[in-house]
Amino acid sequence: MAEQELELTGWRKWLASIGDQCVFFSRFLRNIFTGGFEWSEFVRQCYEIGYRSMMLVGITSFIMGAVLILQLRPSMVQFGQEGMLPKTLAVSLIREIGPVITALICAGKIASGIGAELGSMKVTEQIDAMEVSGANPVQYLVVTRILAVTFMVPLLTIIGDVIGLIGGFIALNFTDSVSYSLYFNKIVASIDYSDFLPAFVKTIFFGFAIGFVGCYKGFNSNKGTESVGVAANSAVVTASLWVFVIDALAVQITSILFYR
Amino acid sequence: MEEVKEQKKAASKPKNEVVISIKGLKKSFGKKRVLTDINLEVNRGENVVVLGKSGQGKSVTIECLVGMLVPDAGSVKVFGDEVTEMNEKQLKELRMKIGFLFQSGALFDSMTVRENLEFPLTRVLKIKDEDEIDKRVKEALEGVGLTDAIDKLPSDLSGGMRKRIGLARTLIIKPEIMLYDEPTTGLDPITSREISELILEMRKKYKTTSIIITHDMECARITSDRVVIMDEGKYVAEGTFESLHKSNNEIAKSFFKDIS
Repeated sequence: MAEQELELTGWRKWLASIGDQCVFFSRFLRNIFTGGFEWSEFVRQCYEIGYRSMMLVGITSFIMGAVLILQLRPSMVQFGQEGMLPKTLAVSLIREIGPVITALICAGKIASGIGAELGSMKVTEQIDAMEVSGANPVQYLVVTRILAVTFMVPLLTIIGDVIGLIGGFIALNFTDSVSYSLYFNKIVASIDYSDFLPAFVKTIFFGFAIGFVGCYKGFNSNKGTESVGVAANSAVVTASLWVFVIDALAVQITSILFYR
Repeated sequence: MEEVKEQKKAASKPKNEVVISIKGLKKSFGKKRVLTDINLEVNRGENVVVLGKSGQGKSVTIECLVGMLVPDAGSVKVFGDEVTEMNEKQLKELRMKIGFLFQSGALFDSMTVRENLEFPLTRVLKIKDEDEIDKRVKEALEGVGLTDAIDKLPSDLSGGMRKRIGLARTLIIKPEIMLYDEPTTGLDPITSREISELILEMRKKYKTTSIIITHDMECARITSDRVVIMDEGKYVAEGTFESLHKSNNEIAKSFFKDIS
């Protein structure tokens, strides 16, 4: 990293870090299209990143859907609007809560995992060994991971949304008796593409940010054992922050495009 | 640099084709000047051992040699080509001719020994023929005497075994130059001796030119045709192991004082 080699401090260090990230991004882009794609590693990463996160996303989404219904119900009953509960849950879950919660879980689990894995590979000179042998570590380690996260986070979000809606259905039936078909008919009738499409598109950006931050932090960690922890920790913090920044931008763009 | 003039043994006398030429090499990290003036020529087939205290920049020199670090000043020529002026493609081609054995072995710890050895064949040499890959993997493992470890993970191997597998992985692409970064550090005396003898054996088998960075005097005695001693960022003494042993140079004396 430039700032490490030059021992920069303050705003110079920050600027050098921005420069480093731009260079890293250009290396990533260049390596997607040149030198052959590592399909087997990409599929392995999709399995590691996606399949192994499914349980966590599923449980969290189920609880989130159920809790939202249980929290919303008393207020809705006060206004005599309990019939709106499926719609309220669906819109809030699909537009905002589902994507953001899934992305934050992935930031915690995946970004830290990638940061720690690549950080430890850096510390144990495995990345240097790849580079010095003439192999391309960016192609093998970075491109596959970033694309796998970009691909899997939207899928995990869809799965999480569906499980969250099931959680809401079960919670609703604790107090009311609502049939399966009525509940899901109300949900399908209440959402349209303007709810689903922007949310889906922003999850692609969430996925990219999580993968990129995890890879960047790990790939550029210092050569010391404590730097593995630092890489993992800062990957989670930075990726989570990016999730909120992207969400804030996405909501502005969506408002302009769909809700005016 | 004080040169200790003594004729080398006829058997180990290399041909006079210079394959590595370093002139006036300087490298600093921030305010710390690591290499102040490195000058070295290595002939084809020669084993040059670089002795020096820890933190003197021994490894930095060989990292400049493969383009992992960019020097601040000076010339680094390998096979007559200036490394500092090479683009990415030229560097990759050069690295295919150079093997680099890291201190830790740098085995890819998520891969088995077989996958570790297959990696440079499939990613660097782009060999697709499974039989050819299998043959070369087995041949490399036979060379280091570890055919039984083929399906083991690096975590199941001892330090010495990891170094041997690292050596096999480096030699599998049949490099013309070998760079050893402290090949015996952290090993017991018997294993250190075995690794040192293996280095000689591999030189004989693959006809490599080698630079061996070490502070293990036994390793230096076994493997060297010529020894250079590094102090404060430059080479201060040069000669055969025996000639330096008898030298009056104070730094050489400090290295050889425990050698009988």
